[in-house]
Amino acid sequence: MATLTLFDPTAPRAGDTQAAAAHSTLRGLAGATVGFIDNAKPNFNHLADDLADLLQSRYGVAKVIMRRKSSASIPADPAVIAALSLECDVVIAGSGD
Amino acid sequence: MSEPMMDRAASFEMADDLEAINRLYRERRWSDGLPIVPPTAARVERMLAHSRRGRHELVALVAPGFGTATVERIAINAVMAGCEPEYLPVLIAATEAVADPEFNLQGIQATTNPVAVWLVLNGPVARQLQVNSTFNCIGQGHWANATLGRALRLILQNIGGAWPGEMDRATHGQPGKFTFCCAENEENHPWQPLHVERGFAMGDSTVTVVGAEGTMNMNTHAKGAAELARVIAETMIHPTSNEYVHGGEPWFILGSEHAEIFRREGWDKAAVKRELWERSKMAVKHLSAKEIDRARASRTPELGELRDDTLLPISPRPEDIHLIVAGGPGTHSVYIPCFGNSHAVMRRIDL
Repeated sequence: MATLTLFDPTAPRAGDTQAAAAHSTLRGLAGATVGFIDNAKPNFNHLADDLADLLQSRYGVAKVIMRRKSSASIPADPAVIAALSLECDVVIAGSGD
Repeated sequence: MSEPMMDRAASFEMADDLEAINRLYRERRWSDGLPIVPPTAARVERMLAHSRRGRHELVALVAPGFGTATVERIAINAVMAGCEPEYLPVLIAATEAVADPEFNLQGIQATTNPVAVWLVLNGPVARQLQVNSTFNCIGQGHWANATLGRALRLILQNIGGAWPGEMDRATHGQPGKFTFCCAENEENHPWQPLHVERGFAMGDSTVTVVGAEGTMNMNTHAKGAAELARVIAETMIHPTSNEYVHGGEPWFILGSEHAEIFRREGWDKAAVKRELWERSKMAVKHLSAKEIDRARASRTPELGELRDDTLLPISPRPEDIHLIVAGGPGTHSVYIPCFGNSHAVMRRIDL
């Protein structure tokens, strides 16, 4: 049977290399500053508050910073991302509902 | 910008066996669930001959994975969808359009909402490529409509990285996520077509991308403009709408018979939009308590304090309502409720 040259239709994800870079610089949570981007869905703030307590009491996180979006369906304001990236060692952009 | 020039699609050798090729593309989730046309080197070359842009040129980064949509990768996905080679410029323009920040592709691709991307073609390209604008224009039966919409979905999935259950978090999705494409019927039209309304020349060819939540048929035998506008506006009102929560951009496909009713009574497009906007206002109290919280977060800067009796307009301005004319004879028009946090984007097609 003859062979064909076929193409893979996918593309490298820009986010994969950024995530890998973040992993390589994080050395644990003790003394770290953790940011949360609150997606503005109902009750996410309560979930993030509980997680902040756990991060500080159990894992020694020094500081937690919360920033709320105006809606779940739009990206965070670039100014918020820029500010969090300066202040935080790690930022959690989760989804709660 | 030298890196993207070297951004070549990965290739591999495989036996010329259609069933085996489809099995592989299915296992790797490179299909939309339907059989694909194998993207062979020869087919991709034929497709690429229809663009003046470089094979490895970066067209856009496609959210949410921000994969690199080169001309080559767009062509590969277009071949898989069954597109004719001359469709490629439409898909290049559509990929640029979805990546415009105004469209909010990151939200559209990753949301639990069923939102699909609807392609609307205007200008000579629609006739050249035989994109259907009449009978069953958003249904089955026309190669260009079916394969263009399918190709864009494959681009969004394979290049954007939005696989169902992974980064595509749609609770149910909708059939329009397989394909959703039509042209505007510019021959049987009482007003300026969409691309002329948006500042393009009649002879320009354009593609518009719309974040469409679904389609709601409106069958009405109303024969007067005011009565027709009233029943359409009352169809728009629903308390589970993203549009009232965020201030949206609702779309309509008016059937020619309904468009003719407005024309006959001297209503221009702006008059129809204003009447629909006024008559579709909904009191805040119809929303659930949680949706009122969401609406406050989104719309307080626009509308001030929201009380139970505040009337919410579906969109910030009447001109945010969009109308095209398409479809065959009949007493039907289509309401296309939209994602809410998204604006349609139009791009000229470089033929």
